[in-house]
Amino acid sequence: MARPTIRPGGLRRRLVVAFVLVAAISAGSLAIASFLLVRQARLQGSLNARAAEARQDLILATAIRFPEASGFVAAYEQPGTHAVLVFPRSRTVASNPQVSPAIPASLRGIVSDGKLGYERFEVSGKPYLVLGGKVPGSAAQLYLLFDEASVQGNLSQLRNTLAIAWLGVVLLAALIGRALALRTLEPVARASEAARLMADGRLDTRLPAGPSDEFGAWAAAFNEMADALEAKIAELVAAQERERRFTANVAHELRTPLAALVAEASVLSEQRDQLPDPARRPVELLIADVRRLRTLVDELMEISRLDAGTEPVHHRVVDVRSIATALISARGWQDKVAVRGGPLTLATDPRRVERILANLIGNAIEHSGRDITVRTGADGDGGWVEVADGGPGIPAEHLPHVFERFYKADSARTGAGTGLGLAIALENARLLGGTISVASDVRGGSVFRLALPLGAGPGGRPPAPQDEAGAVSER
Amino acid sequence: MDERLLLVEDDASIREIVSIGLTAAGFRLVTATDGRDGLARARAGEFDAVILDVMLPSLDGFEVCREIRKFSRVPVVMLTARTDLVDVVVGLESGADDYVKKPFELPELIARLRAVLRRTSAPAEAAPILAGGLDIDPAGFSVRKDGSEIALTATEFRLLLELARRPGQVFTRELLLQRVWDYDYLGDSHLVDVAIGRLRAKVEDDPSHPALIKTIRGVGYRLDRT
Repeated sequence: MARPTIRPGGLRRRLVVAFVLVAAISAGSLAIASFLLVRQARLQGSLNARAAEARQDLILATAIRFPEASGFVAAYEQPGTHAVLVFPRSRTVASNPQVSPAIPASLRGIVSDGKLGYERFEVSGKPYLVLGGKVPGSAAQLYLLFDEASVQGNLSQLRNTLAIAWLGVVLLAALIGRALALRTLEPVARASEAARLMADGRLDTRLPAGPSDEFGAWAAAFNEMADALEAKIAELVAAQERERRFTANVAHELRTPLAALVAEASVLSEQRDQLPDPARRPVELLIADVRRLRTLVDELMEISRLDAGTEPVHHRVVDVRSIATALISARGWQDKVAVRGGPLTLATDPRRVERILANLIGNAIEHSGRDITVRTGADGDGGWVEVADGGPGIPAEHLPHVFERFYKADSARTGAGTGLGLAIALENARLLGGTISVASDVRGGSVFRLALPLGAGPGGRPPAPQDEAGAVSER
Repeated sequence: MDERLLLVEDDASIREIVSIGLTAAGFRLVTATDGRDGLARARAGEFDAVILDVMLPSLDGFEVCREIRKFSRVPVVMLTARTDLVDVVVGLESGADDYVKKPFELPELIARLRAVLRRTSAPAEAAPILAGGLDIDPAGFSVRKDGSEIALTATEFRLLLELARRPGQVFTRELLLQRVWDYDYLGDSHLVDVAIGRLRAKVEDDPSHPALIKTIRGVGYRLDRT
């Protein structure tokens, strides 16, 4: 039976992932937006301050001429501030020879138009804000370089702080999401545990009454279902038990009158020759019917004992083949049944094996009456005995039912059997930890195969040879 | 023939038909309808065998059997309506020699009766056997241990004799069933186990650690030579 597999925790994982995603996206966009805003404000602020400074410096630089250039630019040199004086088509003078960048053409273009221009770029690995303007009354252009390392440093610190905060929010969201998912799904986990327990037969399992939310209502419905199920199953078990007891009681109550009948019939049987002719045949029929009744009651008793589960099993090391041979000769079946195969030594209950084989062979004789072969053999799992007949076989539609009680393949046929023989054989085989299977062909007859374990009984019990004083009290 | 039997059975039909059948088979029969009556008759008269139903009013078959064993070695065959193993074992432990399950056919009961009666008749050989500190006298149906007589029932005596004839040899339960109980095929090996238990209780110094009659696991029993 194919059932959809449930990955435990799948839903929980999905809930946590969704929670984390929502938190990561919202916290991330908030962080990025605020970073951008702050960055914009800082850079603009820095530019405004520097631009005012540059304008003043340009006014001071009026009418500079080339020969005074070195001294002139040196006046601007301060920590973090440098100046570069550019004479178009001639030369460039820097206040600090280490900070003497090539001024990009775009900036030079703006400046040569007479405007105050700026650009940010890196000079020898450091961020600079470069402002430039035309020196009034001269062709020279003055560029002031302001070190923006501190601004950029502040900004990257802010960025790191925001990134760490974002990571923290995501982690927190994962933890909270997990806790929430656990809390939310806990009733579901409890319900599936309860359902599993019920499936294992613990019908008294109930869910604790939860809060009055959806899960609470669900738990109440589940409990109602469990109540109904438990009551129904208890009812069925009781009915089955009543039926079983009834069968046992009927069989038992039939015993005493039957015991008298059997004894009476056996006395009549001995006196048959002295009976007047008109009475002889009815007496013979009576005797045969008493025998049939006896078999039926015996088998009813046996099957109700098997149902009660109180049947003892006494394991001994025995040769199954010789059990078969002995029972065949004891019942006078030698002419009808051939035994093949070697000895089969197993630790099992010889009386039950005898019972099973007698039923299988008896069944073969009843339904076929010819070409009956009993074979013994062993395989990896244990030993087997096959009872094959050359009879008419069992139609396929009846095959699955042959071990059912009182099942008869042909409802019109009134065979000699009670209809319990195969059911009893199967119950006994199970008691020994074995099984019986059947294969049939409407042309080639039927084969019943009894498979028995090599040693242990159904409970994995090691074969217990009967020992000292306690040998017979095993129940 | 002409053995006297006591039949204790409460069901009138069964009592009557068994009487008819056994009388026809040549036995002389005394019947009783309940446990007390049966026990009183067993005390009063000499019987060759007792047939005892288990389910009896006033005193059940097991009780009657235990009481009979206190004063007599007479062979007892139980009629058990219940085929529960426990009943069979309890019946045998109370001292019964054999049992027949109800319903039974009369030839079956007669065969079991003849078998228990055969056990009480003198065995073929008469020479006393000395084995394991026991002095067994087949002719006198007596066993002595350290000079004092041990009271064995006919079944227990036959069982001991069978084992003592070949000390050291292992007897399977099937063989013992055949030789002692006259079962020709897979009878109930509990008969053997319970009888061995009763025999040990009488002849062993410590029945829970038998020194004389040993169990050979998975095979059967053996009387040690010692």
